[in-house]
Parts: sequence; C-alpha cells; structure tokens
Amino acid sequence: MMTDQLTLEFETFRGELKSFILRMTASVQDAEDIVQDTYIRAHTKINTFRGESSLKTWIFSIASNLARDLLQSKKRWPETVTDICREEALGNRQFFQEAMQIRETSPQGKFEIKEHIAFCFTCVSKSLPLEQHLALLLKEVYGFKVMEIAQIMGQSEAMLKYYLHVSRSRMIDIFDHRCSLINKEGICYQCTELNGIFNPKQSAQAELVKIEMARDAENKSKDELFDLRMKILQELDPFESGAAELQLHHLEHNRQVMEKHLDENP
Amino acid sequence: MTQTHSKAQEGKAVTTSTTFSRETSVHATILADPTIVWALLTRASDVSRWNSTVVSIKGDIQPGETIELKSTLDEKRTFKLKIKEFVPEKRLVWGDSQGNRVYTIEKGTGNGVLFTMSEKIGGPLFPLFAKYIPPFDESFERFAADLKREAESIQSSKS
Repeated sequence: MMTDQLTLEFETFRGELKSFILRMTASVQDAEDIVQDTYIRAHTKINTFRGESSLKTWIFSIASNLARDLLQSKKRWPETVTDICREEALGNRQFFQEAMQIRETSPQGKFEIKEHIAFCFTCVSKSLPLEQHLALLLKEVYGFKVMEIAQIMGQSEAMLKYYLHVSRSRMIDIFDHRCSLINKEGICYQCTELNGIFNPKQSAQAELVKIEMARDAENKSKDELFDLRMKILQELDPFESGAAELQLHHLEHNRQVMEKHLDENP
Repeated sequence: MTQTHSKAQEGKAVTTSTTFSRETSVHATILADPTIVWALLTRASDVSRWNSTVVSIKGDIQPGETIELKSTLDEKRTFKLKIKEFVPEKRLVWGDSQGNRVYTIEKGTGNGVLFTMSEKIGGPLFPLFAKYIPPFDESFERFAADLKREAESIQSSKS
C-alpha cells in the first residue's frame, strides 16, 4: 500500500479513532498524542501490512497497543467515580465558573442529557479491567466483529467472547444499580442535576422524553437498555458534538480528580 | 468403591465416604471452548456473578496465591485456600490442611469439554468433625450446572 493511500484512508476514520482513545484514556491530550503516534507508526510500518485484516483493523490494533502501554501501569477507576468527582466539583468554584463560561460563550457549550449519558459511560467503564474495557468499546461502540477484535487485541475469539460477556454484564449491573434514568431506585441523578444548573429554564422531564433509553426504561429489558445506552455513544462524537467543549472540560476535571484520588487511596 | 465419572450420571454428584475421608465429585459435558471454561473458573472477582454456590472470592487465582472463599454452604465461614496446581485450561487445585478441590477440563468426545470437579476431605481427625460438614452434593450439582449454562451462553454469543 502506498503512503498516500494510507493517509487518505486514515483520514476517513481518524475521528472514530480519536474518540475511541479518548474513551479509553479520558484524556484529550493522550487521545491526540496516541492518534498522532498511531499515524507515524502506521506510516513507518506500512510495508508490513499484508492485508490480512482491513487497514482500519490494523490501525486500531496499533492504537490499542499504544493505549494499553499507557494504561497498563495506571490503576483502574472505581465504579463510584461519578460520586467522588461530584463531591470534588461541588467544592471547586473555579470548575463551575469555567463551565459556565463555556456554556455561555462556546458554540460547543450546550448541555444535553444524552451527551452526559455518554460522558458518564466513559467514566464508569474505566472501572472495568483494561482488556475488558478495550473489547467492550471496540464491539459495542465502534462495531468491530469479535474476529476483528481478536486481531486487534491479539487474543483468541473465545477469550474475547468471555471479555465481552463479562464486561457487558458488569456494566449492565452497575447502571441498573446506579442510574436513576433507568431504575427509580438508582442513586445517581447527576445528568438531571447538571441539566438544572446549565439549563435552568428547561424541564429535565421534557428532555428525558426525547431519549429512548430513559423514555422506555420501564418497558425494556436490561440488555435492551444497555444497547440503547451504546446507541447514544455510537451516535456521538465527543470532539465534534454541540456539547463537546463543556463535556471535555468536565472529563478533564474528573480525570484530574481520579488521578489524585487513586494516588491518595493506594 | 469409588465411582468414576464415566459411570456417574452427567451433572449428578457422587459421594464416597470412608471412616477417615469423604470425596464428592461431579462431571459435566460443556459445549464451549476450554478458554471460556478456564476463564470462568479462574477470574476470582467474577465467579460470584455466575456461580450460585459462591458468595465471594477475594484474591487472585494464580499459582502459589491464597484466596479467601465464602460459600453458600456456610456463609459465616471464610475458607483460606492455597492454589496448589494451576495448569491453564487443564487443571486447577486449591485446598487447605483438610482437603483439596480439584477441577479438570479435558477434551470431550464432540465439540465440548469434559469438566470434572472433586473434593476430598479427611485425615486422622476426620471422624471427629465429619458430622459438622454439610453434604456437598447439591452444591456441586449447582456449580456444574451454573458453569455449563454460563460457558455455553458465552460460547453461543454473537460474533
């Protein structure tokens, strides 16, 4: 394959790759660095690409390895990440001032509940073991087949099926116990709480009716609700959406809070 | 006389008792890749999700490690068990001074694997405490059935 062709094809999925790495690392800086490094490595090693997989699968494999190298030595986040970060945010005046500034001035400063649902998944899914996290995102959000994920991660298809099953079950269980959008007993209502702060004149209920996962929560199975949650992630580009700047600011806050929290709680 | 799994009924536990020991075993044919069966058996933090006989397992199921297991047979008690053998996708043994639990995975006759689980407890003082140890049969049968259901469900998941 010629490098011109590589560059051309790379650009067709650069956005997807960047959002995948952001959802793995929760860091804009890391996402940008890894996408750049991935391109450089692909460019350098293009002569080793034999076409045994699609170019996209090969590129995602390079990026996944870089993300794994970065994340392997880091602790996973607790599933209570949103509770911990909420407490920190409430005591952080600067965070809210910056967020309000973005809300009022940025074209990507809207607050939308569905955007926060995707943001929330990005944070909570970092509680999964690294391999399970990678597998789950590649399958459920980025639509790779098990065989392709096996190539990307260098694992057997049987192991991948195990990772996918366990990670999906784990996430369903966590959200079933936490998310008040799908379970009235859920303890987390952060997305509607933030909607009240950023959109004080808007009815959260009216917004929730627009979101299939929340609107049909009582009539859907846990599996179907998880699929609807994944659909929200599939449809949102965290760098390009109308809420991107606001959500990325929030994500950076959570990443910093988590780094401190994990340092202080070995 | 000890019954072997070839004679015992699939999924049905068999217990053999002597004065100084008791051994319970069960076997099941599981239509799944051995990788899946092995992963289910050895990912400690996930076991209580699919296994209705386990309350919790703390620690890593890795060679030489010690785990803390709480079973539904006696939820108040925590068993500290050493991982004594760890042959990936073939054989796992854990135990303490009173006995060993042995899991084996072998190639089955068709697409599946033959899973066996046995536990022998005993020793010179066994007659003194034997009456306090509940029978394992029902728990073993549930374990094997849970493992079979979960492994086959994963195996048949969409690719």
